[in-house]
Amino acid sequence: MPPIAQEGNCLIYRGSNFLKQRLILACLSGKPVKISQIRSEDETAPGLREYEISLIRLFDKITNGTKIELNPAGTSVMFSPGLLHGGQIHHDCCVQRGIGYYLDALIALGPFCKSPLQCTLRGVTNSKDSPSVDHIKGAALSLLKRFLLVDEGLELKVVRRGVAPLGGGEITFRCPVRKSLRAIQFQSQGMVKRIRGTVYACKVSPALANRTVEAAKGCMLKFLPDVYIYTDQNKGKMSGNSPGFGICLIAETTDGVCFAADCCSNTREESDDTPSIPENMGKEVALRLLDEIYRGGCVDSSYQWLAALYIALGQKHVSKFLTGALSNYTVHFLQHLRDFFSITFKLENPEAEDEDEAEDVRGAQKVLMACVGIGYTNINKRVT
Amino acid sequence: MADDAGQDKRKQHRARQSGVKADKKKLKAKKDSNQKEPELTARQRNPKAFAINSAQRAERNFRRKEDLTAKKQHIPVVDQTPDVPPPVLIAVCNNDVNSMIDVAKCADLVLLLCDASYGFEMEIFEFLNICQVHGMPKIMGVLTHLDMIKNPKQLRKRKKELKHRFWTEVYDGAKLFYLSGLLHGEYLRNEVKNLGRFISVMKFRPLQWRGAHSYLLVDRIEDVTNTDRVRRDPKCDREVVLYGYVRGVPLKQEHMVHIAGLGDARIDELNVIPDPCPLPGTEKKRSLLEKERLLYAPMSGVGGIVYDKDAVYIELQGSHSHKEQEQTAEAAEQAELVNKLIDKKATIDEQMEQQEFRLFSDAKPIKSKDFRNDQDDEEEDEEPESSENEDDDGEDSGLDAADSEEEQQDEFDADDWRGENSEEEEDAEEEDASSGDEEYQSLGNVKTSNESDSDDEEARVLASNMSWKTNLAQKARDAFLQRHSESKNLMRLVYGVYNQSEHSRQEAQAEDDDSEEELGGLFRVAAKKQSQQQSDKDIKDKDERCFFEYQGDGTRDWLAEDNKELIKNCFVTGKWKASEDAENLLKMDDMSDAESEVYGDFEDLETGEQHSGKPKAGDGGESGEENSKPEDSSAAKRKLTRVEEENLTKAELMAKKLKLKAKFDAEYDNSGEGKGEEDNGRITGDHSFYDDLKAEAQRQSELNKSEFAHLDNEFRIQIEGYRPGLYVRLGFKQLPAEFIENFDASYPVLVGALNMTEENVGYVNCKVKKHRWYKKILKTGDPLIISMGWRRFQTVAIYAKVEDNFRQRYLKYTPNHVTCSMTFWGPITPQNTGFLALQTVRQDQEEMRRLGFRIAATGCVTEVDKSSQIMKKLKLVGHPFKIYKKTAFVKDMFNSSLEVAKFEGAKIKTVSGIRGQIKKAHHTPEGSYRATFEDKILLSDIVFCRTWFRVEVPRFYAPVTSLLLPLDQKSQWQGMKTLGQLKRERAVQNAAQPDSMYTSIVRKEKIFRPLTIPKALQRALPYKDKPKLGPENPKAALERVAVVNSPYEQKVSKMMKMIETNFKDKRQRERMEMKKRIKNYREKKREKMASKERRQKELRKKVSRAISKVRGKQTA
Repeated sequence: MPPIAQEGNCLIYRGSNFLKQRLILACLSGKPVKISQIRSEDETAPGLREYEISLIRLFDKITNGTKIELNPAGTSVMFSPGLLHGGQIHHDCCVQRGIGYYLDALIALGPFCKSPLQCTLRGVTNSKDSPSVDHIKGAALSLLKRFLLVDEGLELKVVRRGVAPLGGGEITFRCPVRKSLRAIQFQSQGMVKRIRGTVYACKVSPALANRTVEAAKGCMLKFLPDVYIYTDQNKGKMSGNSPGFGICLIAETTDGVCFAADCCSNTREESDDTPSIPENMGKEVALRLLDEIYRGGCVDSSYQWLAALYIALGQKHVSKFLTGALSNYTVHFLQHLRDFFSITFKLENPEAEDEDEAEDVRGAQKVLMACVGIGYTNINKRVT
Repeated sequence: MADDAGQDKRKQHRARQSGVKADKKKLKAKKDSNQKEPELTARQRNPKAFAINSAQRAERNFRRKEDLTAKKQHIPVVDQTPDVPPPVLIAVCNNDVNSMIDVAKCADLVLLLCDASYGFEMEIFEFLNICQVHGMPKIMGVLTHLDMIKNPKQLRKRKKELKHRFWTEVYDGAKLFYLSGLLHGEYLRNEVKNLGRFISVMKFRPLQWRGAHSYLLVDRIEDVTNTDRVRRDPKCDREVVLYGYVRGVPLKQEHMVHIAGLGDARIDELNVIPDPCPLPGTEKKRSLLEKERLLYAPMSGVGGIVYDKDAVYIELQGSHSHKEQEQTAEAAEQAELVNKLIDKKATIDEQMEQQEFRLFSDAKPIKSKDFRNDQDDEEEDEEPESSENEDDDGEDSGLDAADSEEEQQDEFDADDWRGENSEEEEDAEEEDASSGDEEYQSLGNVKTSNESDSDDEEARVLASNMSWKTNLAQKARDAFLQRHSESKNLMRLVYGVYNQSEHSRQEAQAEDDDSEEELGGLFRVAAKKQSQQQSDKDIKDKDERCFFEYQGDGTRDWLAEDNKELIKNCFVTGKWKASEDAENLLKMDDMSDAESEVYGDFEDLETGEQHSGKPKAGDGGESGEENSKPEDSSAAKRKLTRVEEENLTKAELMAKKLKLKAKFDAEYDNSGEGKGEEDNGRITGDHSFYDDLKAEAQRQSELNKSEFAHLDNEFRIQIEGYRPGLYVRLGFKQLPAEFIENFDASYPVLVGALNMTEENVGYVNCKVKKHRWYKKILKTGDPLIISMGWRRFQTVAIYAKVEDNFRQRYLKYTPNHVTCSMTFWGPITPQNTGFLALQTVRQDQEEMRRLGFRIAATGCVTEVDKSSQIMKKLKLVGHPFKIYKKTAFVKDMFNSSLEVAKFEGAKIKTVSGIRGQIKKAHHTPEGSYRATFEDKILLSDIVFCRTWFRVEVPRFYAPVTSLLLPLDQKSQWQGMKTLGQLKRERAVQNAAQPDSMYTSIVRKEKIFRPLTIPKALQRALPYKDKPKLGPENPKAALERVAVVNSPYEQKVSKMMKMIETNFKDKRQRERMEMKKRIKNYREKKREKMASKERRQKELRKKVSRAISKVRGKQTA
């Protein structure tokens, strides 16, 4: 999806997809972006969805001097970013999408704010359409930590869980700021040494959680003895507004890479016809995690884009990062990176170090991303 | 300087070679050498003498040494000098402050010429200051006119004086070069040569700003506007091409650039062209051969040959050559050819590469190498038809996959918990699949061997068994994974195809596509575009998800045995890499030990057991089994691999070991060795942290250089950008006509690239200090010309002081000798970027003389933001009009009740210091309010409310466009004028405000009421504090009491009066008599004295006469 035109600095896109990518990159690059023809062909509900409006509001909250222009139908939006400000933020996320959808953007922008980000997000903590907060905590934060070097001030806390459709969950996220990111070379993913997981159940019988644990553990134990799955049983105020349960598994390797997979139950309306069965879910999530391990790389496949972003923003040196097969989302993100930062990655297959190692099968073919960072510095931070 | 160093060296001690002393020494040396090894150092021979005898002193010594080393350390920076660096820029510039600034920003080395007979001029100090602000380039002073000073002693003194002044300004030990004088209008040959040598060995430190930005100094400029357009409208915007070496960091076309003195511009076209002045061969020589000597003259066409990106132009001199051409065209052509051959700088091969041919005037030139590439491509894609077929296959298989999925779902229907939902998803997936296929198709046009591989695989599977239907979904998934991870495809998948429609000027891969377009005809182009549009449309409005999405469905069943094999090694329980496996490492260690033994095999004498150098296979297996008992499944494979390991030749093992050893050495030994070398018994500190940092920087620098070195140039440029050292051609559109019309080569044209967000404007907050030598202070709200980053611009600055609570308090003027905060509206610039401020850039002799120093202030950026927080103190004043006990009604402070509402609860205070609070608005008069105080206030009191008022920073930003001015006015740029300037020019004088006038102060004398102590209080007071003095009623005391005497008393008083009168009279008479008596007495006494004196005189006369008689007799 290339930009259809460029007016001076402003990039013009069509369509609602990748709105988040575009807004993140616009904020970082300072380039205004105009998106037109948003769901213009959808006759019943043209224009931006409520969750997208909520995302734009969130961007407005963490920036200073942002200008947003929407046309009356909501099919076109002009976003000229201000400077990232950060600080204390409270945001009620739209329940149409999970908190993960919003949190992704904050993780991407957090290190570049003026003052450390301390935000409270309310909404759906676990949903199918975006990574759950456990997934983010496992996969994205471990990646961010690698770039921040020390995790002082980095925290993601699930205060309350809330599942779709009504949400009612709450998380707090704190992120320190950095002047610039180092160029890193991260090419060895290591081997999976332990598997941890969380099963949560809100407003449902605790037995469901235990059954899920059993099924998931049964699968994983065939590969590794070190498996431990926590159960997080909530009721009353702490359990949000709707019933549901789910599971998130995290595999950690010897080099500190974390893979995650999650799965959550159908909502109440959906469950009338097809209730979620804990055993199936347990197996499902285990298989997803194994799939993730098969793809491998030094980052979870849902956050390849984040790794690409960080190495692109690094100092003007060569960075290398090993990932599994690129997801479609990452492919588009790389294209967007090129639009906004005019940075091109060298993508290649890593060659095996020795011949004897080439024989060993270690999951799928990997991709080695290499690039020269653009030397991005946090211009928002104050120096004394 | 070198000479100086030679002179400074003291005469060395020369030991005696003969005589008694020499003999003694020889004897002693002989004895020593007999006793001990001669190589031992004094320390080793006599360790006691070097023992620590004072721990404190040792500690101090150590600390001092560490301090010195720490002082020398710099934060290691990654070296960014390219392999082929651009030529060193040596600054020569005129006196115009604009040029001085631009030159200081780009020069690598500055030669500061100074007339020694005169001393340093103010411009030198100005220039040094500019350099300090914008990152200090290397600076070398050159003293000239040394021959003007005849007296050698004075000359030496002068040199020293200037040297020390120079050192305080630059750094201690800065190089100062001496040129003694002119001979025949030229400097002395040797001295200039020496200077040249100094320059050639100069090393440059990386500078912060230039290490983050690319820039180039233009050394050629061409106007390529259509001449017809210029003829029609001479003031039309021009298309301009600038040439220069890229410096700093790699340049990217998409970045905005700033042309200093002109403004921001977007690069329209960027190409590499051959270096006009390439480096000579790598061999080191003292001087260049005649052939290698190049004449390279920036900003001037020397030699009549001009290279452009796609052509070489030869200037034919005058009419003579033209005539010749007319006469014999052939001869002229020959001559031209010969000329070309002579002037070619590249080899024939390179030229062939660059050779181009144009079919049509507006067509893209066809390059020879392109031609070859096409051929290659054709050779590679021998089956374009088959690819199409395969595409079809792909589509089919996709459909089949969907079918099979449906079947599977039917099977699972009984306990499928997803129901309806899954159908929807499936639809989406089908869409995905189709879009994926289209992508695949479009990719298919660009055949690569990889794909054919995968297709081959597929074909093989098809042929081998008919049960392919069962795992077709998986096949599709594998193909997808492969497609998303195979290298050649990958770049294409991400950048290649997508490029070609929009970014027509994408290099490398895109070129191939283009050529194919031409070859394949129009049909394919249309199809491709359509398919792309379709795929765009498909993903255009989808929901954004960051999950990994397969084209097929769901996940593979990893619990199946054959699938399990695929990921088994991803777990710690699987097989490790040889370099990581602990067992392996141990074994290799053992083997190396065995090898290091002289005899690999030995016999244990005690037991009589034979040991062989290599452990038996069985032993290894046993131990392996012992270790790997828990992992039975992998044991078999492990054993096998271990056997393989054994089969490795010794050489291979050695190689591996060496690798490990090197790694180990890098970690431990090197520091130890370093210690060993300079081990003189001193305790050395641990500098491993610093060393690690340094090593890290070094490693990164090497990686930067090596990572993309093997890629072909165009691809490399795409990834890295145009690296420094390349000679590039920058095309600009829509530059103002004045830039060309008023171009003057003596003014440098500096093109600086802007990083992300630096093209935007915002409020810039900085630390600033007025320069000590600048004679005025700066006023808030006066326009100021600032040089920051690449830019020079005029803006309006507001000064402020940061208070302890981080509030920025507005200041009217800059303070002297301390920094203050300054905020202005300007380009967003990274923090810590230095800047300098000028009040004017006009070259005005009178102004110069008046000010002496042109740089008004210097500072650095601390923060950028989109809003400013400068506050001004504001005191609101009100008057009470009604007072009840502690409540008062106050008016005149606000104008409306709305304003009051805003200030409810605000603290207020009277002049006498009674504090209070605003409560609520009052209806009449409008804007009055009720307030309470801690005590009753007076009607005459004034009530204050202290508030802060935000000051708006004016949004004024105007780049200094000095390059656009006509030649004679280049140094006369005039921006916005200050209010003071305007008033002076137009002789405007404001009428003074009567409030501000000084008038004589007339004060009425204050009459205080007397102090009265209430009676009740008086009564309550203790006795000592009660007022006692004075009558109770002071008025009553003043009246005299009339005294009435009785007749007796009258008689008595009369009698008394008479007696008194008598007494007074008597006393007066007595006094008169006494006076007369005294007078007489004194007279008598005087007479007595007179007669006495007369007698004595007589006597003295007699005596002296007698004495003189006696003396007369004696003398006689």
